[in-house]
Amino acid sequence: MPLLGWLLGMLAAAMLEKFFGTGLASAVGLPKIPALFGIDIMLKRPLLVPNAFLYTLLIYALPILIVGIAGARAANRIAGWLLRLPMAVPAAVHLGLLYISLHYWADVSDYRALVLKLTLIAIMLTLSLNVINGYMGEFSCSHPGFMALGAYCSSVVTVGLFVDAGMFGIALLPESLGPFVFPIALLAGGALAAAGALLVAVPSFRTRGDYLAIISLAFLFIVKSLIENFEFVKGPRGMSGQPDWAGLPAVFSWTVLCVWTINNYVRSTMGKALNAVRDNELAANAMTVDTRHTKMVGFLFSAFWAGVAGGLFAHVLRYVNPGTFGIQNLAEVLAMVYFGGLNSVYGSIVGAVSISLLGEMLRPLEIFKWIIIPLLLILVMIFRPTGLIAFKDLDAFSLFRPKRKPGGEE
Amino acid sequence: MKKGWTFLVCVLAIAFALSPAWAKEPTIRIGINAPLTGDIPKVGEGTKFAAQLWLEDVKAAGGIAIGKKKYPVELVIEDNESKAESAVKVTTKMITEDDILIMIGPQASKQAVPAGGIANNYKTPMITPWSTNPDATKDRPYVFRACFLDPFQGPVVANFITKEFKFKKAAVLYDVASDYPKGLAEFFRKAWEDINGKGSVVAYESFTTKDTDFSSQLTKINNSGAQVLFVPQYYNEVALIVQQAHQLGWKKPIVGSDSWGSAETTKLCGKDCNGAFFSTHYAAAGATGETKKFIDRYKAKYGYVPDDVAALTWDAMKLAQQAIQATGGLSGDLKKDRDAVRNQLSQVKKFKGITGEMTFAGKNDPSKCAVIVKISDAGEFTFYKSVCP
Repeated sequence: MPLLGWLLGMLAAAMLEKFFGTGLASAVGLPKIPALFGIDIMLKRPLLVPNAFLYTLLIYALPILIVGIAGARAANRIAGWLLRLPMAVPAAVHLGLLYISLHYWADVSDYRALVLKLTLIAIMLTLSLNVINGYMGEFSCSHPGFMALGAYCSSVVTVGLFVDAGMFGIALLPESLGPFVFPIALLAGGALAAAGALLVAVPSFRTRGDYLAIISLAFLFIVKSLIENFEFVKGPRGMSGQPDWAGLPAVFSWTVLCVWTINNYVRSTMGKALNAVRDNELAANAMTVDTRHTKMVGFLFSAFWAGVAGGLFAHVLRYVNPGTFGIQNLAEVLAMVYFGGLNSVYGSIVGAVSISLLGEMLRPLEIFKWIIIPLLLILVMIFRPTGLIAFKDLDAFSLFRPKRKPGGEE
Repeated sequence: MKKGWTFLVCVLAIAFALSPAWAKEPTIRIGINAPLTGDIPKVGEGTKFAAQLWLEDVKAAGGIAIGKKKYPVELVIEDNESKAESAVKVTTKMITEDDILIMIGPQASKQAVPAGGIANNYKTPMITPWSTNPDATKDRPYVFRACFLDPFQGPVVANFITKEFKFKKAAVLYDVASDYPKGLAEFFRKAWEDINGKGSVVAYESFTTKDTDFSSQLTKINNSGAQVLFVPQYYNEVALIVQQAHQLGWKKPIVGSDSWGSAETTKLCGKDCNGAFFSTHYAAAGATGETKKFIDRYKAKYGYVPDDVAALTWDAMKLAQQAIQATGGLSGDLKKDRDAVRNQLSQVKKFKGITGEMTFAGKNDPSKCAVIVKISDAGEFTFYKSVCP
């Protein structure tokens, strides 16, 4: 069953929920469409466990399987036909299907949309941290710092230019320009984060080993206390009132762009050099790899995407506070990276999605949530020390290619 | 495959057998957005307990009576982990998934400011019991609060010290990285200098969250000739600061703010805090009437004297109840009902809460009195003075 089949199944499930969800929910005795696969309802009202389970089965599991299996033959044929076209076409078709099904899924309630947006941002963050911690093999702790730089920089641009009673009093530009300036604001955030990364990289790459961890941790604290002491950005009170431009399409396209560029980067010569530096810096140097340059580029690249993710984060929440970008945030991103798997694009996506969704689903457990998730992390570390899916990159061709059963005629 | 179908049929059968017939009677859902985990779990606990105590009362009465009809009430308690992003998620969830009529919380300004934005966007009334930051309700018609504001509290403390002790020079020690202490320190300095002239705050020292050694700042304060020390910090830092100040030879009065009003303050601080003053919302020791009744019930049930968060949450719940009752009947259309509750809330006049009398009269911040509390030699919070706007 090719990816196209799965996506069609997802689309069918999302449509089904969109149009028949409410009816089905009341038919199986649920008060309304369950939030995230019904886990919330199951934990809060144990009596409804079978109903919630049934709903999930009927809306998600069965349609995806039925549409997927029934349409496998056709999907295979279409996938094979699509692959004969330039790669952009099958990619666009797959991404379009993914977006439409996510859109319908998130359309059910704004809570889902918010969770989805934050999960996509978590993917960007995890992936960018994986470039340093996985591909480069150094341990960086400054990711929340980069994120904060990106978040504040883009907020300053948007709030300053577009919000009345914002930073410069009146709005300097009309709101209709927003969609064009927003990407620029995000890029500026990314650029500032990269500039900050340069400050970390210059002293720390003169040294070897664990020094990067310490220097980057110091950087995180410096950024945090800088923001806290800048009255310009309201200090510890935090900035609010960012315009509401980070809708699902914007976040989705930035995430796709992030995954695509990072995937291309790590599969390129530069990415391979990064791996060589990780495995043995001396040997890599002897084999004509410019190790310092390689590390520098990798680090700055990673920081750039963290900055962009931070900018999106600020505009999704429409509020930033230096307290958000602390050690706890760092621990969460690190957990996502190591849970999902080092040195892997797939792994980062899996880690970010599973930790974000788990965190959200287990919310009713309150304090026990913070026992279960770390316990899972420990178990993964014991049985799969490199994470769930490690050392695997995305290959568009093998992803979109029709899947045939061994011995099957089509 | 056959097994699969049998299984499916079984699940279906069980589901239908168990599904409680969902009586479609309108239930009033009230959201509680509390920091049950994270930095200030005690605040979350107080919020939860006070809300549950309120629910007991309402259940005993058979629900909230609006006109002649009684509506059953449900609490939706969610944990915001004392994080801004979680508070936003929880608020969105309660409003769009759980169909709450009104939300109580979040408590701390760090969460209340972003959550207030969300509640206002969805036109859902929200009452923050404890957030004293002006931004939480500013330009947000749907967001209310049950406490006074920092711009009120700062001058209250400054006036109190000036009148009570006739001091001219004050010192301030505050956390520069936390919004509440920083804001309050600024408001206090402004008020103090308005009364006693420029430069009368002779030491204005700061530290950063999670610092534990204040000796250099305290030495400076000691040498500055200040007559009184103002410490607008949370209870966990108060103990450290006061103890270290005493070790370094500070014998003059220490004054705090409403963040001192936790049961933990004296527990952590021991004898060092005895004799200190702070401004707050209510005084537990020597309380009378409804306040005493609440304190006794809370203490009997949960084993400790409720702090101001619990008392303010109780008042917020009562405010919500009064506003719901004043609507004169719910239409069942959540949007309309939320608007009706909001309109009633803004009309509240002379509401007799256990933390004092509140009047909104079209505004979103109540006008109410502050209480100056003195920590007695027994370590109890005793009423000292009431200061009204």
